[in-house]
Amino acid sequence: MNEDPASGAPAGQRRADFSLISNPDDAWSRVHIISPLVRGWIALAAIGFFFGRDWFEGLFSDEGPAGVPGGLGTGWAVAIVLGVVALIVLAFLVSWYFTRYQVTEEHVRVNTGVLFRQNRQARLDRVQAIDVVQPFLARLFGLAELKFEVADAGESAVRLAFLKLADAHRLRATILARAAGVRPDPEHPDQIQEAPEHEVVAVPVSRVIGGALLSGTTVLLVAGAVVVVVITAVFRTPFAVPTLIPVVLGVVGAYWSALNTGYNFRAALSPDGIRVRYGLLDTRSQTVPPGRVQALGIVQSPLWRLKGWYKITVNVAGYGAAASSEGQARATLLPVGTREEVLRILALVLPDPGTDDPIRVFTAGLESGGSAGGFTTTPRRARLLGLLSWKRNGFAVTRTALLIRSGVLWRALAVVPHERTQSLSLHQGPLDRRFRVAGLQVQTTPGPVAPRIRQVDETLARELFHSQARRAAEARRRSGPEQWLMTQDTPPSDRPPSRPPISQPISQPAEPARKDTPPHEQL
Amino acid sequence: MRREPIDPAGLAWARVSPKYLRVRLLGWLISSMFWLALLSVPLILRLTGVWDSFPPLGLAWALPAAVLVAAVWTGLLLPRQVAAIGYAERNDDLLVRSGVFFQRTLVVPYGRMQYVDVAVGPIERAFGLCTLKLHTASPATNASIAGLPTNEGARLREQLSARGEARLAGL
Repeated sequence: MNEDPASGAPAGQRRADFSLISNPDDAWSRVHIISPLVRGWIALAAIGFFFGRDWFEGLFSDEGPAGVPGGLGTGWAVAIVLGVVALIVLAFLVSWYFTRYQVTEEHVRVNTGVLFRQNRQARLDRVQAIDVVQPFLARLFGLAELKFEVADAGESAVRLAFLKLADAHRLRATILARAAGVRPDPEHPDQIQEAPEHEVVAVPVSRVIGGALLSGTTVLLVAGAVVVVVITAVFRTPFAVPTLIPVVLGVVGAYWSALNTGYNFRAALSPDGIRVRYGLLDTRSQTVPPGRVQALGIVQSPLWRLKGWYKITVNVAGYGAAASSEGQARATLLPVGTREEVLRILALVLPDPGTDDPIRVFTAGLESGGSAGGFTTTPRRARLLGLLSWKRNGFAVTRTALLIRSGVLWRALAVVPHERTQSLSLHQGPLDRRFRVAGLQVQTTPGPVAPRIRQVDETLARELFHSQARRAAEARRRSGPEQWLMTQDTPPSDRPPSRPPISQPISQPAEPARKDTPPHEQL
Repeated sequence: MRREPIDPAGLAWARVSPKYLRVRLLGWLISSMFWLALLSVPLILRLTGVWDSFPPLGLAWALPAAVLVAAVWTGLLLPRQVAAIGYAERNDDLLVRSGVFFQRTLVVPYGRMQYVDVAVGPIERAFGLCTLKLHTASPATNASIAGLPTNEGARLREQLSARGEARLAGL
């Protein structure tokens, strides 16, 4: 069944798209045959429920099966249902048959569609992230979906649903190895090993639950409850329970999604970049290759301060700015972690922090206000513009990144590596002008982090604007190649055929960070 | 044009065509007339007696009056707004400034440019102008220069493309 008709057949018999295959050695494959059923199970379940219920209810009524037009018997009804199901299954099978994919040295290609055919091709070295997702039902069948993300921020460039889990992992390893510029072993071109990884952070379940209970949702819930109680007490109105139902549903949903996406959260480092795994019912394993994190945000909701917990979100070009809980989970690099874990994740994203004392600088960014750690805050004369936040608003510049601090109750720190700056803009409204301050905004790819400095001295802001533009240009010139394991001084043929040891490509620039926050010691 | 505090020192801004003011004025005139006509409807209906009592006469008068005031205000601002638009090509990046009350200066490195758009609307075409828009990987980069003469727009587009290619830097 899984035999590939495209390889080995005489060329004349093939469909038109056969001519698109540049390298016939890279065979076309299909996704797993039962995957359409796993994808379309909701449709089948709905049909089953709809007809099944009618039939079931009909058993208990005197009039026989209801809902069948023209007074046809049960046999006809069953035949019609079976016919519809057979048609749907046939449609699934046809769409499955016409969906094929191929991974070549430089591209991944997917052909889909029956009447309207689509041939899609994406360059491997443009990969921004690869996810292996297992929705609950697919997990029962041992299947997984592979998502290949490029920087268009829309839907995934390539989605292969579903493959056997082992196949998905092998395909991911192949894509990452080729995207990284690793040449396969000439004698065993098929044997591409998954890059080794070192676990850096594992979040215990108890902390995920605690984090959900102490989250901003709880703060809002308590505040809302207080308001309701006060209103009922003051106006002596009867307490309307049904109005609370949507609120309760929303809150329970928020807690559930925090648990579902934070459960068993693990972050690891490999030569292919940062690996993240999580999930209770649906499990997801994400790989973000080095240099693909465009901006990083660390936030702390008010109650998390009691425990010293933080959440890390990132902007990755392929993930986009989806507001769904799935989209938010994808952009989360640490759902709830201690300060020490935050620093370890920071060391992964920013191997070279660009300062001699990263712990002091980042801790000041996370926790304190004022000028500690080299931060520049809103000048005192403009404190009216932010009565509480003026001491906390601020920025610091290291050799490799711009740190933007904000928020008093909901503390936030945004980190933008210089070479990832897309553009910068300087803003000044009439009120700002009156207090001689200005704001600076750093534009990055869409995502949860929106780095923005508010109300800094206008002269400083202008200097920062120009020095930051210069630093970004310099950092871009220095930044590594897109194929992250291919260094410029060694041509590809000189590379060892197997994967290099983990310490080789990453630890070199990471040395300053590792001294303080060694990821390996926690193993 | 006076220098604003957030303008970089030692930089000569290229200004857009003065004809762009006429484009903006024409657009302003059309939209003002439209809103004025639309929000005068209750007043006309009231005065002609089609509607009896519902909108108080004061409110019926206030609507078009408010539109008129807002239109005059934006109309008075237009010359300064057009004069505030400026751009400057530097070695590594393009600077764009705009705004009178809410000022903004934007810098886009050439290497970050994904593509360049040149758009011409019917009014702009009549005046021989065009709008150039630069896109980076971030949709928040709102780098558009309106009111460029057509040949200047074409020159800038070619120049930006050439420089972008020379300094190409992925994401």
